[in-house]
Amino acid sequence: MPKLIQAEDVVTNFYTYEGVVKALNKVGLVVDHGATFGLVGESGCGKSVMVRSMMRIVQEPGQIEGGKVVLFFNGDQQQEAVDLLQQSEAYMEDLRGNHISMIFQEPNAALNPIMSIGDQISESFLFHRKKEMSKKILEDLSADDCRVFLPLKKLQQTLYTIAADNPKSFILIICSKIPILSLWQRRLKREALQRSIDIIRKLSISNPSETVHRYPHNLSGGMKQRIVIAIALACHPMLLIADEATSNLDVTIQAQILELLKDLKKTEIASILLITHDLGIVAETCDRVGVMYAGNLCEVADVEKLFQNPQHPYTKALLESVPKFSQEGRLRSIDGAVPNLVSPPSGCRFHPRCSHAMEICKQTFPEEIEIEENHMVACHLYVK
Amino acid sequence: MEKKTHPRLKEFKYTLYRIFRNPSAIIGFTLLIFFTGVAVFAPYIAPPKYAHDPYIMPHKGFSPTPKPPTKEHIFGTTSGQYDIFYGAVWGTRTAFKIGIFVVFFATVIGVSVGVISGYVGGIVDEIIMRIVDIIFAIPTVVLAMAIVVAFGRGLDKVMIALSLVLWRNYVRVMRSGILTLREMDYVQAARVMGVSNIKIMIKHIIPNAIYPVMVMAFMDIGSMVIVAAFMAFLGLGAPRGYADWGQMISLARNYIVGPAEDPLRYWYTIIIPGGCIVLFVLAWNLIGDALRDAFDPKIRRK
Amino acid sequence: MLAFITRRFLFMFVVVFGVSVLIFSILMTFSPERRAAVYVRSPQQAQNLPQLVESLGLNDPFYIQYFRWVKELTHFNLGYSVVAARPVWDAFKSFLPVTLELNLYSVPIMIIVGIWLGTISGIYHDTYIDHITRIFAIIFWSLPTFLFALILLMIFYGYFEVFSPGIISDAYSVYIHDNPDKYTQYTHLLTIDGILNGRFDIAWDAAKHLFLPVVTQVMVIIALLLRVMRSSMIEETSKDYIMTARAKGADKKTINFKHARKNALIPVVTVAGWLAAFSMSGSIEVEVIFTRQGLGWWLANAAIQLDIPVIMAMCMFMGIIIVTANLAVDILYAYIDPRIRLS
Repeated sequence: MPKLIQAEDVVTNFYTYEGVVKALNKVGLVVDHGATFGLVGESGCGKSVMVRSMMRIVQEPGQIEGGKVVLFFNGDQQQEAVDLLQQSEAYMEDLRGNHISMIFQEPNAALNPIMSIGDQISESFLFHRKKEMSKKILEDLSADDCRVFLPLKKLQQTLYTIAADNPKSFILIICSKIPILSLWQRRLKREALQRSIDIIRKLSISNPSETVHRYPHNLSGGMKQRIVIAIALACHPMLLIADEATSNLDVTIQAQILELLKDLKKTEIASILLITHDLGIVAETCDRVGVMYAGNLCEVADVEKLFQNPQHPYTKALLESVPKFSQEGRLRSIDGAVPNLVSPPSGCRFHPRCSHAMEICKQTFPEEIEIEENHMVACHLYVK
Repeated sequence: MEKKTHPRLKEFKYTLYRIFRNPSAIIGFTLLIFFTGVAVFAPYIAPPKYAHDPYIMPHKGFSPTPKPPTKEHIFGTTSGQYDIFYGAVWGTRTAFKIGIFVVFFATVIGVSVGVISGYVGGIVDEIIMRIVDIIFAIPTVVLAMAIVVAFGRGLDKVMIALSLVLWRNYVRVMRSGILTLREMDYVQAARVMGVSNIKIMIKHIIPNAIYPVMVMAFMDIGSMVIVAAFMAFLGLGAPRGYADWGQMISLARNYIVGPAEDPLRYWYTIIIPGGCIVLFVLAWNLIGDALRDAFDPKIRRK
Repeated sequence: MLAFITRRFLFMFVVVFGVSVLIFSILMTFSPERRAAVYVRSPQQAQNLPQLVESLGLNDPFYIQYFRWVKELTHFNLGYSVVAARPVWDAFKSFLPVTLELNLYSVPIMIIVGIWLGTISGIYHDTYIDHITRIFAIIFWSLPTFLFALILLMIFYGYFEVFSPGIISDAYSVYIHDNPDKYTQYTHLLTIDGILNGRFDIAWDAAKHLFLPVVTQVMVIIALLLRVMRSSMIEETSKDYIMTARAKGADKKTINFKHARKNALIPVVTVAGWLAAFSMSGSIEVEVIFTRQGLGWWLANAAIQLDIPVIMAMCMFMGIIIVTANLAVDILYAYIDPRIRLS
């Protein structure tokens, strides 16, 4: 399968009072076109920071300090590849929500409490689909059954022609600032709202045309998460990043949302990057899995391989800590805790908790090696 | 292995670090130390002329026209020939007296009423909060003026009046702090473990609810000095000749504009006592500001 | 929603009633003789003070005196002001426009500038812009209004001789007083009346007299608003929905001004009650220094001359203003925040 996005050696640090938190230490991952990639690991291992770095929305005081995030627009032909970390902020604004979008962990906090649902979804269209929508409005305006006072119609047509050509035109910005002239946007807003209704109808929300006028506090958690997904899906992104999107929901709603994501993957989006700490979800939904520990990626493999044949000691330990019906006795857990990333352990970051730790683990950082096809492990055990 | 420190101590160290990383706190503390020094050593810096009441400013003659600085009066004399230097030095003591007395009594009253209101709840809470609402409906200066008018003039009356007004602020802060903390998980956990209500209140709730009150109290010391200065300026405070910055400004009030050829001739009569007020209040506000930043959990970790 | 407003409205009456009881009881600490002295107009009356106390019923129990006072209040009979040498209600009506005019200009300016500066400071927190605005805020916060007013007067009136204290130049004041047929006082606000009468010179003169008072009041109170807005803004910009907006592809401007600022305004609206209180007390200091004969000036002089009916009346007035401001805040709050509006 062709690659969709490839991150290489991403380094992100947080500058805090306690010191520099080295949240990501040269992490790389590849998401293929049409694949669902799962990123698993304990809390605080840098999963969220990784995807936020890929979208360049790391919060203060974090800083992306190195690496590459290459997005392949069309297969992995080189001329269509763009290194996102080298692009301007304006380019990224254009890209976020349009080609890559993200859904968040906490649906209650992820929506603006004082904006209506419709407005929040419409924003996506207004940011990225102005051109297209203006063209459609122009068509509507020139249709015979459109009855608008003629000079007004002329004015609207002129403005929408400009908008269809260049939505960031200076004239339009000025027009939007002038009180009465700013009404020209009304059709655009109406069109965006119509599209919002369409998108939430697809997400099987009952009564969409009423829901768009409601506010987040009127909706249940599962509904809110659907709205968050709707916002992310609005512009048919190539990659949808779900950052623990189901962790805070009830089990039944969790299942619904996962089902929804699976369906959407068939119809709407190319790839999903799913972050979770629930290995069950990974087994059920993902094609490929990456395991992260303390700011490092320790193992990447196809989902069956990883579950059947884990190689890295951390992956093994993680899998053993999952409760099984057949198992008796105490549940295994991993001794120790995730290290403080201000002063991470030398060498392999897992060595203090690793049962196979060797002398070399304390000194050098293990390189990632391919032990079988499409199965990468970063561990000294497998170095020949 | 790094040395393990007690989490409270670690937090405290971090708070101190945050306070002293803030340049405004350093300026604030420097100013405060300076004023404290002046207040403590006032009898040596400006030896009193009248031993029985050192707060009375000495004056030579009664001429209303201020005199510029000379060797004898290094800051000059204000209207009525009161020595400005003496007034500025002893006025520091007055300012400390006003600020600390007013805020201390107001916090004692406010915190106790707030604790009662938050702890007892029900009808008592309702009545207390309505009374507080009513007192809040009158601006500080106005209510303090009404009380001073009723009790009679004088510095002590002004201080009492201000404490009688100010306590309302702390009631609200203390009460809402208690109400929020009472619902916190750790308090619920303590309750489940069977810790008595009074013990929870004393050990877990009050110590945590008191921080915002402390920050507010620091800031209020400054604003109370300002209000007291205005009341002294109006003539509701200390008697004429008492070393009080507000009153010194009031003495100079008619001399803000000098003779036509030199309109700013008497600047020192306003600027020196005025500058004292501003710097004194600034000191408390800077410290209060730094404290708030240091204690505020929302911006603490940034 | 309607029930909420009605409840707040009823509560407003409770507060005003409470304020009147409070002030009345504070003033009851005066001896009956001293309160009777307020009514003394001639030496003869002064000699039979005991009879006067008796006839005015000043020895009666608290509640009887209070209800007598309330009864008088319903007829707009608030007593006689020594300072103004007029009945309190008449004096009030003549002093009100002066204070109103001052606040008419200063309050909108301080709200707009304060919120704007607070937003900027919050967006760019810990940068130079933020440090400068914070230093500005803390210095003005530490500066007593009356001192700032005096210094402005010293510089602009004394040194540059551009702005003078008072409300309007004497010549115009005499003109307005002598020509009621040519100059109609529609609103009693000098700047607006001047324009309505086509006398732009009068309006300009009044505006010139207003300039320093407005500047004084605005500068000192902006500091408060700025601080609240700044911290509210910092808090909002670190919330999760800002992340959603960023992930949606929103630009910095949309995030800061459309998403964060609107949310940040909610807590700021709640300080509007204080704002009313601060501009009230600010008006007292400003009017005293610039000898503008408005309500604040009147109150300050009443306090100096023990003009009790004025203090009573003014406390009631301030109470009404502040409670009304709080009511307006509640309504505005509901307007901004759908969580309240729709519940």
